[in-house]
Amino acid sequence: MYWNKSCETMPRERLKEVQLERLQVMVNRIYHEVPFYRDRFQEMGILPTDIKSLEDLQKLPFTTKVDLRDNYPYGLFAAPLEKIVRIHASSGTTGKPTVVGYTRKDIANWADMMARCLVATGGNEHSVIQNAYGYGLFTGGLGVHYGAECLGASIIPISGGNTQKQMMLMKDFGSTILTCTPSYAIYLAESLKENGIDPESLNLQAGIFGAEPWSENIRKEIEKKLKIKAYDIYGLSEIMGPGVAIECEAQSGLHVWEDHFIPEIIDPNTLEVLPYGEQGELVITTITKEGIPILRYRTRDITKIIAEPCECGRTHLRISRLQGRTDDMLIIRGVNVFPTQIESVLLEIGEVEPHYQLVVRRDGSLDTLEIKVELSEELFSDRISGLEELERRIRDRIGSIIGISSKITLVEPKTLPRSEGKSQRVVDLRNI
Amino acid sequence: MIRQVSIFLENHQGRLNNMLKILADHQINIRSLNIAETMDYGVVRLILQDTDKGIEVLKKNNIICKTTPVLAVEVSDDPGGLSHLVDTLTKEDINIVYAYSFLPKKTENAIIIIRIDDEVREKAIAVLEAVSDIHLLDRDTLLVK
Repeated sequence: MYWNKSCETMPRERLKEVQLERLQVMVNRIYHEVPFYRDRFQEMGILPTDIKSLEDLQKLPFTTKVDLRDNYPYGLFAAPLEKIVRIHASSGTTGKPTVVGYTRKDIANWADMMARCLVATGGNEHSVIQNAYGYGLFTGGLGVHYGAECLGASIIPISGGNTQKQMMLMKDFGSTILTCTPSYAIYLAESLKENGIDPESLNLQAGIFGAEPWSENIRKEIEKKLKIKAYDIYGLSEIMGPGVAIECEAQSGLHVWEDHFIPEIIDPNTLEVLPYGEQGELVITTITKEGIPILRYRTRDITKIIAEPCECGRTHLRISRLQGRTDDMLIIRGVNVFPTQIESVLLEIGEVEPHYQLVVRRDGSLDTLEIKVELSEELFSDRISGLEELERRIRDRIGSIIGISSKITLVEPKTLPRSEGKSQRVVDLRNI
Repeated sequence: MIRQVSIFLENHQGRLNNMLKILADHQINIRSLNIAETMDYGVVRLILQDTDKGIEVLKKNNIICKTTPVLAVEVSDDPGGLSHLVDTLTKEDINIVYAYSFLPKKTENAIIIIRIDDEVREKAIAVLEAVSDIHLLDRDTLLVK
């Protein structure tokens, strides 16, 4: 089953023609509407008319999260605010969020792509979709929501958390599709068991899980515990939100909607484009976005492109399950966490550059964050209550910035590994 | 006023021993010891025979330490001796943050180390000095006791 058959099964030659046409229009638009890109083009001696084939995409500059931050909040918008109908934001590297804007057309395209995703995973107008992605600045909740309405399914906008209510509605409303992070799906499965609710007695058929890395083993676990099919969805707010790519019923790679996006894989060190099948950093160019079109966005996600035709009949390229990241961004309970955010909080409190280490664990099904902080003489107190107060201040401040709770552990000076590479800052023990 | 050496140690096997060895290696005598611990760390409070040297060698070994002003009070070593001291402070609304015993070698009396909030320390000194059977000790007097 397809939602938009003509697009989803478009012959590849035709798809490439569409891509080139759209790319040319977009490059021309951002050259005239976005000073940031015009300056880049001029520095590199490129004109929009230089884009004569899809291969010419490689001549164009990359865009990074830092570029979005430097142009905070609206600097990269290609449409005036009166044409923007929605603004989303995700956590940035240094406290300032990354801001994206959508025109009416962008929202409609996003809903169409999300509807394709829902149909690819077995959804239809009879589906009852329990959407446990967070609603708000995060794109997850509203992204799925609009796709479900576009499809004509019944959406339950319950948002994240409140597990008792999730279980009650799942049972009473007869939810058929669950959308949330994979770790929450496992948590929910365990809560059902504890509450004596047999998943077989529910109507649940499928789950669409994303916003954090997960493995094939976790898929098996979720499928077994919830008695459903579990599908991987990919998206990021800088490009659109959830629905950039989706697994079909073949569960073998995620189709990237190529009539809206052009995916490339690069070597993150040399920045050279790699051939299909080779693993590297995923780079995405939007070719239909009006609000904030992005050229060659470096996602920092590591994957590869699968070019072989898929048994589902969709002609769009697939990317394999994400293998990790090229930077030290952590995704904890669906939230992007950058070590630099923690650093800025510690600087605020201690006034000197702190040494710290983030330790992420999977405790049962929930991710936990421990922040080890080397104590300095100026922060040391001879009173236990003074040290506990210090821990509380750090924990509260970090909670208000990144939105998740953490355990603060004060350690002796010079006991944490000194960072030669940034990786020392982060110890991820989750075995994803 | 007495300078206590306050030390931060992680609550792991061997940490206390490591710190004590540093002091021992430098011939620094510990006259009194108190430890407050949590799951993750502890604060060790010491009265040293040679405070400055102690601080110097601990810092050289990357141990976080600093001096904290405390009071040393000599009271009679009889039932009610300590109670009398605490009672005197309580009546004046002065809280004790923490307290522990000092081990005197040359007196029959008991010596208590008390930590008072910085803001009311001067008041505490005035209050205690006004009581005849409680004796505040200065550093030199304490360390020969």
